Amino acid sequence: MEPKIGVYVCHCGSNIAGVVDVEKVAEFARTLPSVVVARDYKFMCSDPGQDLIKKDIKELGVNRVVVASCSPQMHEPTFRRAVQEGGLNPYYFEMANIREHCSWVTENPKEATEKAKALVSAAVRRVFYHQPLENKEVPVHPDTLIVGGGIAGIQAALEIANSGHKVYLVEKGPSIGGHMMQLDKTFPTLDCSACILTPKMSLVGAHPQIELLTYSEIDYVSGYVGNFRVKIRKKARYVDASLCSGCGICSTKCPIKVDSEFDEKLAKRKAIYTPFAQAVPNVPVIEKEKCTYFLKGKCRACEKFCERNAINFQQEDEILDIEVGNIILTTGFKLFDPSPIKEYGYGRLDNVITSLEFERMVNSAGPTTGKVLLKNGKEPKSVAIIHCVGSRDEKYHEYCSRVCCMYGMKFAHLLKEHIHGSKVYEFYIDIRSFGKGYEEFYNRVQKEGTVFFRGRPGEVTDVAQTPEEKGKLIVQFEDTLVGKQSRLPVDMVVLCSGIEPQADAQETAHKFNISCGKENFFTEKHPKLDPVATMTDGVFIAGCCQGPKDIPDTVAQASAAAARVLALINKGKVEIEADTAFIDEAMCSGCRVCNLLCPYSAISYIEKDKVSRVNEALCKGCGTCVAGCPSGAIIHKHFTNEQINAEIEGILV
Amino acid sequence: MGDSVQTTTFLDEVASLPACDKINECIQCGVCSGSCTTATHWEYTPRKVIALVRAGMKDELLKSNSIWFCVSCYLCTARCPRDIKPASIMHGLESIALKEGYKPPTKTTTMYRTFSDSIVNNGRVYEFGFMFKYYLKTNPFAAIKMIPMALSLLTHKRMPLFAKKVKGTADLKTIINKLSAGGGR
Repeated sequence: MEPKIGVYVCHCGSNIAGVVDVEKVAEFARTLPSVVVARDYKFMCSDPGQDLIKKDIKELGVNRVVVASCSPQMHEPTFRRAVQEGGLNPYYFEMANIREHCSWVTENPKEATEKAKALVSAAVRRVFYHQPLENKEVPVHPDTLIVGGGIAGIQAALEIANSGHKVYLVEKGPSIGGHMMQLDKTFPTLDCSACILTPKMSLVGAHPQIELLTYSEIDYVSGYVGNFRVKIRKKARYVDASLCSGCGICSTKCPIKVDSEFDEKLAKRKAIYTPFAQAVPNVPVIEKEKCTYFLKGKCRACEKFCERNAINFQQEDEILDIEVGNIILTTGFKLFDPSPIKEYGYGRLDNVITSLEFERMVNSAGPTTGKVLLKNGKEPKSVAIIHCVGSRDEKYHEYCSRVCCMYGMKFAHLLKEHIHGSKVYEFYIDIRSFGKGYEEFYNRVQKEGTVFFRGRPGEVTDVAQTPEEKGKLIVQFEDTLVGKQSRLPVDMVVLCSGIEPQADAQETAHKFNISCGKENFFTEKHPKLDPVATMTDGVFIAGCCQGPKDIPDTVAQASAAAARVLALINKGKVEIEADTAFIDEAMCSGCRVCNLLCPYSAISYIEKDKVSRVNEALCKGCGTCVAGCPSGAIIHKHFTNEQINAEIEGILV
Repeated sequence: MGDSVQTTTFLDEVASLPACDKINECIQCGVCSGSCTTATHWEYTPRKVIALVRAGMKDELLKSNSIWFCVSCYLCTARCPRDIKPASIMHGLESIALKEGYKPPTKTTTMYRTFSDSIVNNGRVYEFGFMFKYYLKTNPFAAIKMIPMALSLLTHKRMPLFAKKVKGTADLKTIINKLSAGGGR
């Protein structure tokens, strides 16, 4: 088929035509070999613009199309569709970017016009060598894996399971619930956190479509969108979940006391334990490293008292091999540890506590049954709440953690409620109360008499300079709105620690073949328009693993991720771009350099044929293997040497 | 409009000094002033000094006692969340003030000058000569109080009576002169 090329130069209003002489570019295009028609038009992406292409295909027999307009990121799908609707293979199309690469960045109209001509010439020469390609379709497995059993994972799991599709919810701890379970009240409405969370948790536990795998971790992930294979390690609980009634006698009888992670080490738990009373599943685990039987070979108190004979010291880790079509990562966050900030004295000064410690203390189910207490057992009469601890600070985290202003003010409210006549001081840099009802809450806390000092304190010390300061914690600060340095003696200091990524975020990202940003939060596909997808198709993210956020935003993201997954499940198949790498097996020496180079693990070595082969569904068409192959055996479809050379020649002519 | 031109000039002038380039990134959190060991004596706290630079209020700032109370403890610089280096800014402002003839309200500059003269001449501090000159320049009578301590140091051989120069003081002078040409001294 003799190539007949049609060239369409877009004005993009004045975006292009304001600088580039579009008529001249079209005129120039007519002189190029194999070009049968060249037109300029106001908006090629509009329906009449697309119709021009379709009409020329029909009437003039155009069989290759070049559109000189914006970036392919914007409208390549639009024009490919137009070409296809005109009756051609969509890959018989090439786009010349004369907006972002030309008119927007070149001031001189003459130079811009020359550049546009060169870009069009390159596209024309390239499209000459285009081959018809077919996008592949692969089926989507209807099951979904969700990693992380906090509020994000719970929400996403319920959304998907309620539509009738199976979900595997994997949680590394003994119970789902996450950080939200640790909180007392939630801002700004002051709902009791556990009261709104536990109903959802028990729904998850009882849902016929949710397979809940707690005390489990992901070992290995392979495959691609629609067809992932995942190895899950179900760690040994040493308790047979099918026999256990959750009566709790084992924990009562266990002689070993360990700091409770759930209670932020303010209370003890046993070596056999459930982290909290409403745990889902209500099946304890034995922490092997702490259990007397495992350490010394005797005790077995739990086993003796268990009426159901559910204790099983012989239990081993179990590996589950599952297939899923989509994955949602909801792995959450870690609270910033303020001990490196020596000047605030956390860990050195009694009564300097973190926000989560305060949450546990003020919680009626917590270690002090809801009483805020100093180390000496008395109630504090005055409390300083310091914002931005570890956040908005280049030495720790440059970003704002987004929740601290609001929870700091919630603490002020709770303190006033719990301790009558208490004095509360908020030390802030800026109050960020951006959500629905948040500013109103700020106002409410002000009305309640909390004093706001604008200034990041320099230090917290117990070295008194006056008799009034004796035995107190002294906050030294500048009230920046007054402009004077002051010292404020208080009984207790709460540090509003920020949100930071999980310590193993990079490892997790690597496992799922997604990337982390500068601060180690998972990177979304597009920060505005694709916030829950990742660069790996079929892997979605939601909640604080993507960046600091509050509960409403987390729940919204989790539902969004579930919707994206359901869309794929509903469609039942995914289309894979055709511009993938292809190995000419006659030329492949089997050296396997490409296997190692491929960032998507898409190339594997076929032992029996002694050659490497590309899995087209996994290949993203990055071209790394093509450049790396010492035998030149790899062809990148739609980016062949012929096509690239022609493009370069076109620019140079 | 005259005011806004002035504003840009002073900020630019300060920002161009060594280690002062991040002054525009200050978020006015006040941790510098909250940390400052002498801030209670300052007419304007360290944070406010930065604000005054950015507002272009040069005369008001340099007439005040503020910058001269910086004792270079560097707590502000260690704790600044934006790495602004407030102590360096204070030192930069001191050099601008001296160049433009503002009279320092403290003896700090005399102390610094006498100290650095001693280093330039000897390659090390010559304590006896340095303190002698310093009291001569400021308040000779205040030196009387120091006599018992000086005697004690002398008899314990903790302070030599005569200067001990390092080798190559001429080379050192060349180095210092080159640095001074860059606007340091």
